[in-house]
Amino acid sequence: MIKLKNVSKIYPNGARALFGVNLDVAKGDFVFLVGASGAGKSTLIKLLYREEIATRGQVLIDNVNLVRMSSSHVPLVRRKIGVIFQDFKLLPAKTVFENVAFAQQVIGKSMKETRENTNTILDLVGLAKKKNAFPSELSGGEQQRACIARALVNKPALLVADEPTGNLDVDTSWSIMELLNHVNKLGTTVVMATHARYIIEQMNKRVIRIEEGKIVDDSIEGAYRIVT
Amino acid sequence: MSLNSAKYVLTQSLVSLKRNFWLSAASILTVMISLTIVGYSVFFLVNTSNIAETFESQVEIAVFLNDHLEASQITDLKSQIQQLEGVATVAVTTKDQAIIEFQESMGSDSLLEDLGGVNPFPDKITITTTDARLVEEITSQVSGLTGVEKVRYGQGFVEKLIVFTQWLRWVGIGVVATFACASFLLIVLNIKTNVNSREKEIQIMRLVGASKSLVRWPFIIEGIVIGMVGAILAVALVGATYTWLLQYIISTLSFLPVVSSQQFIINVLLLMVLGGAAMGFLASAFSVRKFLNL
Repeated sequence: MIKLKNVSKIYPNGARALFGVNLDVAKGDFVFLVGASGAGKSTLIKLLYREEIATRGQVLIDNVNLVRMSSSHVPLVRRKIGVIFQDFKLLPAKTVFENVAFAQQVIGKSMKETRENTNTILDLVGLAKKKNAFPSELSGGEQQRACIARALVNKPALLVADEPTGNLDVDTSWSIMELLNHVNKLGTTVVMATHARYIIEQMNKRVIRIEEGKIVDDSIEGAYRIVT
Repeated sequence: MSLNSAKYVLTQSLVSLKRNFWLSAASILTVMISLTIVGYSVFFLVNTSNIAETFESQVEIAVFLNDHLEASQITDLKSQIQQLEGVATVAVTTKDQAIIEFQESMGSDSLLEDLGGVNPFPDKITITTTDARLVEEITSQVSGLTGVEKVRYGQGFVEKLIVFTQWLRWVGIGVVATFACASFLLIVLNIKTNVNSREKEIQIMRLVGASKSLVRWPFIIEGIVIGMVGAILAVALVGATYTWLLQYIISTLSFLPVVSSQQFIINVLLLMVLGGAAMGFLASAFSVRKFLNL
């Protein structure tokens, strides 16, 4: 599903974010990216949905290299990838339903298809009853569910999440993790950057630790080692 | 682009126009003002050129002869003039005919006596030309003939009219260019504001894989709509006032050769609409290129 070959990223201002990163994620995997702030987690996540482009190396998603790709192909790749954020990025003037349906409309789905898919996904994330509410009327956890629904409505093969529980309390974070786990079990590959140790320790998934732009640990069993 | 996407693009353009109502209104108004000026200028210039041409073709050259020329000398002169290139007609008015005509026009039959028996009118030959551009040439040739005292034509008037229309043309172009720039910049600003106000929406569109054209087209359509609405308002204003003015001039100043061809008027008005749409398209495309980073 995901293959990174000797990937380096240097920002135009000279900041070095990643060096020689190699990574393989199989279809259906659930992977945590951990590491201190500034270690390169977010950069790696951004390379996956081509918000940033690697300076060197190859980033392959389903065998398609995102590094050498004409910009007109980028939208097609992004339709296979769902993205969720710490700050949700919901449109405040649209209802939950409209926010999710928006993702379908802008890729040219019909009204009927949009309505059906949106209702299905809102059911899945448990927001069916709140579909006519505006983001400001929702709790943080509900907003993140709406964001997840939007990321999933186009049925992506890969879901990338940059600290999705960063703004949520412990109980709400757990409910979001249960949802992501459920989505993963339905077949979506999940890559999630996080700081939350309690989540990693209990989820028992593959954990990749990044330090100063390099992968320093890749533990299949989900053990989380404290950086000393 | 699929039908669903086209529907989305159109809806978004209208939503955006509504959201920035006052800025859109300002852009529409400047497009309207600049195209109104374009429209009026075109009609004014076409008509002044038409009037100038008509007057030019009607220019006569008056040749005043020396006193005491024999009738045979006058006939000689007349035939010499007739042989010049570009001369259409040559007519002789003797001093006796001139005073009689003048007396008749004054409604008096004792003018010659009142003047003490001296006829102040010279003999005169009137020339019309086949081409107004030959007037000066013919004038200078005739001046050199023996027996000719002085030659006059509508000196000044025609030149002044031509100079005036040329000057007007430049002023017109200047004013139109200024307003066109203002409209262009206002549409650019309008679209830039819309791009900024929809930043988050655009970011999400990119994330979920909306094609670039789907992100761009609502803004471009919006620019075209602004240009066209402004143009249609200008066409309504210019079309209505010009036809009203035409009727007024034809009924009161019928000697003025105004341009009243329906086809011509329709062509000008159509060009205005196309001009408005093109302006809207160019301005929004420029703005999208410059301010929308995809």
